[in-house]
Amino acid sequence: MKTKTRKKKYEKRAAYIFVIPAVLLLFAFLILPGISTIRYAFTDYNIMRPDDINFIGLQNFINLFQDKDFLKSIWNTFHFTIFVVPFQCLLALGLALLVSSRRRGVSIFRAAYFSPMVTSMVVVAILWSVLYNPNPNNGLINAFIVKLGLEPIGFLSNPKTAMNSIVFMSAWQAAGYQMMIFLAGLQGIPEEQYEAGAIDGAGSIRRFIYITLPGLKNVIKYVIMITMIQAMKIFTQPYVMTKGGPQNATRTLVYYIYEQGFQSRNFGYACAVATIFFVIVISMSLVLKKIIKAD
Amino acid sequence: MKKKLVCMVLAATVITTALASCGKKNSENDGTSADGATKVTIWSPTDEPAVEEWWVEKISEFNEENKGEIEISREAIVRADSYAYEDKINAALTSNDLPDILYVDGPNIANYAANDVIAPIDDYFTEEDLADFVDSIKVQGTYEDKLYALGATESSVALYYNKDMTDAANIEMPTKLEDALTWSEYADIAAKLTTDTVVGTNIIMDQGEGLPYVLEQFWISNHTDFVSEDGKVAEGYVNGEQGIEAATFLNDLIQNGYANVNPIQKEFHNGNAATMLGGSWEVATLQNEYPDFNWGVTYFPVADNDGENTSPTGDWAACLTSSSKNSEAAGKVLNFLMNKDNVASYAKAIAKLPTRVSTYDSLPEYNEYPLSLFKEQSMNTGSPRPRTPSYTVLSPGFSKAMMNIFTGADIKTELDQVAADYEDDYSKNYSK
Amino acid sequence: MNYKRKKLLGNIWFYAGNTLIAIIFISPLIWMVSSSLKPESEIFAGMNSLQTFIPKSASLKNYMEVFTRINIMKFILNSFFYVTIIIILDLFINSICGYALAKFEFKGKDLLLTLIISLMVLPMESIMLPLYKQVADLNWVNQWAGLIVPFIAKCFSIYMFRQFFVDIPNELLEAAAIDGCGPIKTFFKVVVPISGTVYATIFILDFVGHWNDFMWPMLVATGEKIRTIQLAIQTFFGSKPINYGPIMASLTISAIPMLIMFIALQKYYVEGIASTGIKG
Repeated sequence: MKTKTRKKKYEKRAAYIFVIPAVLLLFAFLILPGISTIRYAFTDYNIMRPDDINFIGLQNFINLFQDKDFLKSIWNTFHFTIFVVPFQCLLALGLALLVSSRRRGVSIFRAAYFSPMVTSMVVVAILWSVLYNPNPNNGLINAFIVKLGLEPIGFLSNPKTAMNSIVFMSAWQAAGYQMMIFLAGLQGIPEEQYEAGAIDGAGSIRRFIYITLPGLKNVIKYVIMITMIQAMKIFTQPYVMTKGGPQNATRTLVYYIYEQGFQSRNFGYACAVATIFFVIVISMSLVLKKIIKAD
Repeated sequence: MKKKLVCMVLAATVITTALASCGKKNSENDGTSADGATKVTIWSPTDEPAVEEWWVEKISEFNEENKGEIEISREAIVRADSYAYEDKINAALTSNDLPDILYVDGPNIANYAANDVIAPIDDYFTEEDLADFVDSIKVQGTYEDKLYALGATESSVALYYNKDMTDAANIEMPTKLEDALTWSEYADIAAKLTTDTVVGTNIIMDQGEGLPYVLEQFWISNHTDFVSEDGKVAEGYVNGEQGIEAATFLNDLIQNGYANVNPIQKEFHNGNAATMLGGSWEVATLQNEYPDFNWGVTYFPVADNDGENTSPTGDWAACLTSSSKNSEAAGKVLNFLMNKDNVASYAKAIAKLPTRVSTYDSLPEYNEYPLSLFKEQSMNTGSPRPRTPSYTVLSPGFSKAMMNIFTGADIKTELDQVAADYEDDYSKNYSK
Repeated sequence: MNYKRKKLLGNIWFYAGNTLIAIIFISPLIWMVSSSLKPESEIFAGMNSLQTFIPKSASLKNYMEVFTRINIMKFILNSFFYVTIIIILDLFINSICGYALAKFEFKGKDLLLTLIISLMVLPMESIMLPLYKQVADLNWVNQWAGLIVPFIAKCFSIYMFRQFFVDIPNELLEAAAIDGCGPIKTFFKVVVPISGTVYATIFILDFVGHWNDFMWPMLVATGEKIRTIQLAIQTFFGSKPINYGPIMASLTISAIPMLIMFIALQKYYVEGIASTGIKG
């Protein structure tokens, strides 16, 4: 009896020792700035006037919904997300199927498909801004397109194609990562199921639909979720490649936060954008979690 | 044993706090260095290797001379191609992290002065000293009758051309200021020289400050400007009839395929563009890195029907920040940076025009073509960018608008937006 | 016989198909490396033939230029340094917190767990402005602390650790307690040694995430002292003189450390990334 309470006491003390460092850090660098974000969102804080911050109620939010650039940036962020998620996931699944065999040397191919991930988004963005040059004499991809007898494409300098060009590049860069997750999922499907399928005379397409896909269900859901949340945060690509242009076609929410905060100096306004961004991401992940838990 | 583990947990916390406190200790705004010397910090943009070397050499020279009294340290801040440098200044303002001496691009001086970010520097220079500086750099650095900034160099932009290509097309480029190409002559030449693999010209320096810097001349030459003289009005200026004419002319160059909207770097240098609106500094690049290249340079084009002769001026200049705790020492450093020898050597390193008249004695190359042409333009036709505190809204607004226009947006709508945003910012923040 | 032929055919398909697809897939990277070996005038010449992927006269001149113009090794080491410190502290601080949430009873435990799960979705991007201001007020701009301290504690890591530790059988812990181990000692002596997978997972995720991070270092690292490799690359891309050969060389150099890491730790990489999919 006595030892038990003593044990409990020890445990409690140990628990607090274990928890406190993380809690303190989370409080200082996550919760506190989180609260500040919401607080500043209701003020007219301008970087040039740090001593003159006034509470202005909902004014920032009212202005936001009349701000064409802001509405465009929401639209752009969703455009990116809605296009990149299926494209990237399908690409990743396809690559995973290509390299799921246990043949010798398969790891070389895996490494090849993973290599854009290894080179980092900044590197890839710089490289592709060169590859995407609209002039076929300077841009590798347009040189290839012209060689095929087609008209060169404006890519990043055409507002109609700019965001899709970023989608394509981003999917190419990150597909290797999701491929790894799918690969593990594929290896988790027992070999016997395929063998049984083969005996039943199922072709490879039927086997894919009736064995592989159901086996991967949970993995696919998870991959879609993380890819979606990740996609909402897009910043590096427009920052390095387009600065949000042409004609606002690639100005995303996070880029707009940065631009309003550090370029236009409207710290308060930028925090209002950040608050809305945060609400969008949270509600999105809640909905996604519900859908995933549903079955 | 248990104690040991508790210690480990504590150690982790200690590491964190240690990192924190070492952050405090090394703070750049501390004011004094280890040997008791007053520390003066400088921010300036990263630049070509020759300029970086100049800084290293001059800083060690100064620190040697003033050992124990003043110690300079410089931070090279990324400038990249857009407004990264200005973003950094804004970020630093949120926490009062600015250095003592801040290099800023000329047209932003009014904005920083109006917001009390920088302080007047009249007191740190003798009248005699100031008289030696060219007017354009003093005008650029003046806001409400006080001098806030001085730069060692002035800039100018002219039209470079590939001589092999112009010769092959039998084109004679003007050699006198009064014969400068008109817009239509310029467009004709660009059209003639455009082939499948070569564009006629290159008008985009970067997608940031480079656009207003170079392209404002098309407004001025067409007898208008971005904003009114007093800086209060943009409506009817940047988006006025003559302004729209200028934008239309530029847009036609792009839409007709005479110029790339997204040119690769060194397009002209590598023979992919027949002409280029380029700065005086390109002379050094072309001479040093492309010795076999046959090129020439002529005056900045003027508008048809009696357009005004004009060329860009203005350059980065050094300011004292109002938050500086060592303004006396910083003033001394400023004096050192702007003395005759340093202005001359800096101008040479960065390949731009020096701002002290007396330095031309030691730089004979400016009496000969091609550099003489830039000197002539700078002395006679240079037009500074608008000196208005709302320039920080005007410049990104204008470059965004031009990029939009070049990619198909409506000219009038875009320029209307620039004018509206400018006047909005001006009336909100600066009209008293 | 038939089976053997089928297998051979399958192998041919596999290797030929994968080789072709892999080459197309990484052709942008091939072009990058090839351009980094070419003289400047050759890079954009002959774009319309496959020649563009093979340098006529390869030389390391562009690489020499990168090394003379910027201290790229220093920036790579900077990245390694700050990422390593974050990982070590993350593994330590978050694993003990996750363990407490999994196995200890204490006041406020449920509340804390709910809080951590709900904060997990809070994107760092949405708090970056006040976070920057806070870090700047602490005088951490251009200091290692500014790059490191805000990213030590992570709700995601705590949650991953907690999920892993929950599954450890209590009998194992009780056995240790009978042997005279206190709860803290039990964790380090018994639990940590059998938890390699979860540590590997967090290690890999942290490494990939922070090595590639761009936005935060861009805000905090203005000077060269703590400039990370990603920033250095972007800076180099925008610094005069802008020549594409050296730019391509700098891109290539920056990819090498990660490539080596990946090849050396491929097994853990795959396990680490994959287990997030299965666990989550």
